[in-house]
Amino acid sequence: MRNSTTGWLLIAPTLFILFITGLLPFLYVLVVSFFDWNTFAVNPDPHFSGVENFRRLVFDEAFLYSIWLTLKFTFFVVTSQLVIGFGLAKLLSRNVPFKGVFRTIHTLPLMVAPIAVGATWRLLTIPGLGPIPHFLQKWFDVSYILSRFPDQAFITVVLMDIWHWTPLVTLTLLAGLSNLPREPIEQARIDGAREWQIFWDIILPFMKPVLLTTVFIRLMDALRTVDEVWMLTGGGPGAETRFIGLHIWRVVFPKTDYGYGSAMSLLALYMTIVICWLLYVAMTGMKDNKQ
Amino acid sequence: MIKRLLATTLVSLVIAQPAMADFWSDAAADLKGETIRGVSESTPPSNYVRDVLAPAFTEATGIKVEFETTSWDQMYDKAIKDMEANSGIYDFVYIEQDIIYSYLARDFLVDLSEALANKPELKSADFSFDDFTTFIDNFRNENGDVFGVPMEAFIKVYLYRKDLFENPKEQAAFKEKYGYDLAPAKNFEQYRDIAEFFTRPGDQLWGTTVQAASGHPASFYEFFESIAPTYGVYNWGINLDAGAASVENGGQMNSELAKQALAYWVSLLDFAPPEATASTWDEVASTFAAGRAAQGWVYGENAAWIATNPEKSTVVGKVGVTLPPMNDGVMADAEAGKGYIGYYDGGAFGIPYSSKRKDAALLWLEYIGQPSVQADWALAGSRVVHQATYDDPKVLAQDAKADGYFTLMKEKGYLFKGAPEYPFHAQVREAVAPFIYEAIIGQLSADEALDKAAAAADAELKQLGYSKK
Repeated sequence: MRNSTTGWLLIAPTLFILFITGLLPFLYVLVVSFFDWNTFAVNPDPHFSGVENFRRLVFDEAFLYSIWLTLKFTFFVVTSQLVIGFGLAKLLSRNVPFKGVFRTIHTLPLMVAPIAVGATWRLLTIPGLGPIPHFLQKWFDVSYILSRFPDQAFITVVLMDIWHWTPLVTLTLLAGLSNLPREPIEQARIDGAREWQIFWDIILPFMKPVLLTTVFIRLMDALRTVDEVWMLTGGGPGAETRFIGLHIWRVVFPKTDYGYGSAMSLLALYMTIVICWLLYVAMTGMKDNKQ
Repeated sequence: MIKRLLATTLVSLVIAQPAMADFWSDAAADLKGETIRGVSESTPPSNYVRDVLAPAFTEATGIKVEFETTSWDQMYDKAIKDMEANSGIYDFVYIEQDIIYSYLARDFLVDLSEALANKPELKSADFSFDDFTTFIDNFRNENGDVFGVPMEAFIKVYLYRKDLFENPKEQAAFKEKYGYDLAPAKNFEQYRDIAEFFTRPGDQLWGTTVQAASGHPASFYEFFESIAPTYGVYNWGINLDAGAASVENGGQMNSELAKQALAYWVSLLDFAPPEATASTWDEVASTFAAGRAAQGWVYGENAAWIATNPEKSTVVGKVGVTLPPMNDGVMADAEAGKGYIGYYDGGAFGIPYSSKRKDAALLWLEYIGQPSVQADWALAGSRVVHQATYDDPKVLAQDAKADGYFTLMKEKGYLFKGAPEYPFHAQVREAVAPFIYEAIIGQLSADEALDKAAAAADAELKQLGYSKK
């Protein structure tokens, strides 16, 4: 009993901070989502509107499109980062020349703030100034204008995110690979297993907890990406890179539609939780089936 | 002896008098050491405030000024959130002409006329609302009280490359191709011909700038505040009496004229440099200053430096300034006060009610509103807010170098107009702008874009409670 009380006392400050910075804002957003509240309306005061904000969401083409774009973006970046990150982690787990130098260079993007990453990529890609459009035009006669061609903008945003966050995946997977037990792998080799069999039947199951954690981190980050994309494309051209985070920002800040924006935020949060849960079930289910 | 005594007494009295320094140090005697904070968009006039006027004010009064110049979006974010939350972070904020109606509707701002009347000890003899141009009227309420001290004002003009337009070879080639003389465009057909004629990507020269950022409200503004009015569609095509934008509900936003205007404007992208779809007002100015466009609609705040500053512009001495092209009847509308031919842009500094240092902020606003600081500020930022500034010798000299930009503003400024007096400015803009973006990148035709935009504007006005239906 005494141990339990001491434990609660010790974690009380953390719980208090979490309540203030996490739970309280969440409850506020939850309450606001049931109100019609725009400070520049004829009636600027919040007035209760029940589930009207959530009903509007279902018919809001722009919002639904932003969800679709976000899911597409998340799928491409998380998958690519996992594949590339795993490959690089495998490479770095071996004794290759200049491993240390490469690992340092590869990790550098992680140290750059997202807003600076967006600004740098903007400078690289801006027509008339950036080297990428210049050389693509000069060498390949390719007209590369992010602000005019939606596919180019989307692909560039995906590439930027891969460039920025793959090192994180590499580092976490490298940590996982470094801690793999050697015995089962050596035993499998002695028994004549092929490399892909070792990978599929030994390495992958052992790596599952690390993989799951890495995927969750990247998934949640990708679903709420804002700053890099904001700097690079501003959500354009049109609404072709206006992911949920950016869309909600425009509704809440320039448009000052607080109630509706809160409802959007809650739905985005719910979507994130559901996707993570489905992924968790899928990955742990795979393990159960295997057993 | 008596005379000597009297003289000594007189001298003693004079010496014993409290020192009468200048007004600023006296008025700020009790405020010395205070720090006032402000926020504005990073523009040439604002940067002049930060770099020159703020330090000078601190020297004169002992009041420190922390002035944040940031992006246009961030400025609004910060200012509005501060005033809404009543947090008192800012003691003065930039009020763009187009947002004042929203701020007044929310009682965000201190009534400066009343504040000065209530505190005569803070009223400088050098400051008077009467010194300002009529632009100050944008910042008055229905009783005539002033809520913002104008700090910048300019018109969005038609800039063209004088060196190209006056080149005999170009003139001959143009006449041969189009059958009439090369001169600044008076109508949209001429403008298009000129744009086509000068589009030479191999020489890194294009026919026109287009402020067509495909994910930024700058494109919304160029269309609704520069192009649509010169086609004869005013006030964004919104009928305030009906609280609607669509033709079916009494508005003009998706009228045939508006659709023609949008189709025309988007078609100009064929003659614009590749950065046009990423261009806000800043990039348009940079494009023109880099010599990459033969003509364009350019914000006046940039006109003077493009024409005169060799450190930033490659077209110094080659810039012509004139009125924009327009449809028949638009000039007559503007002369009669029924319409306008372009955007009269500008802003003021106001004091939020939430400010905790209103007296110090009031002194600061008076300081920047003095006649003595206006001319140098005009040179730095192409802005004029005092009538007398136009006649200052320094400004007259700059005017000559800038092909008469200031004269044009003085004489023809009345033909231009600021944004319509809508308290729902940002809300309708946000509802409509995405369709303009889609028109720019060709996902929607001009007709589709404006039909959808008008429907979205109607829905937004209804949601906000402004619709009369």
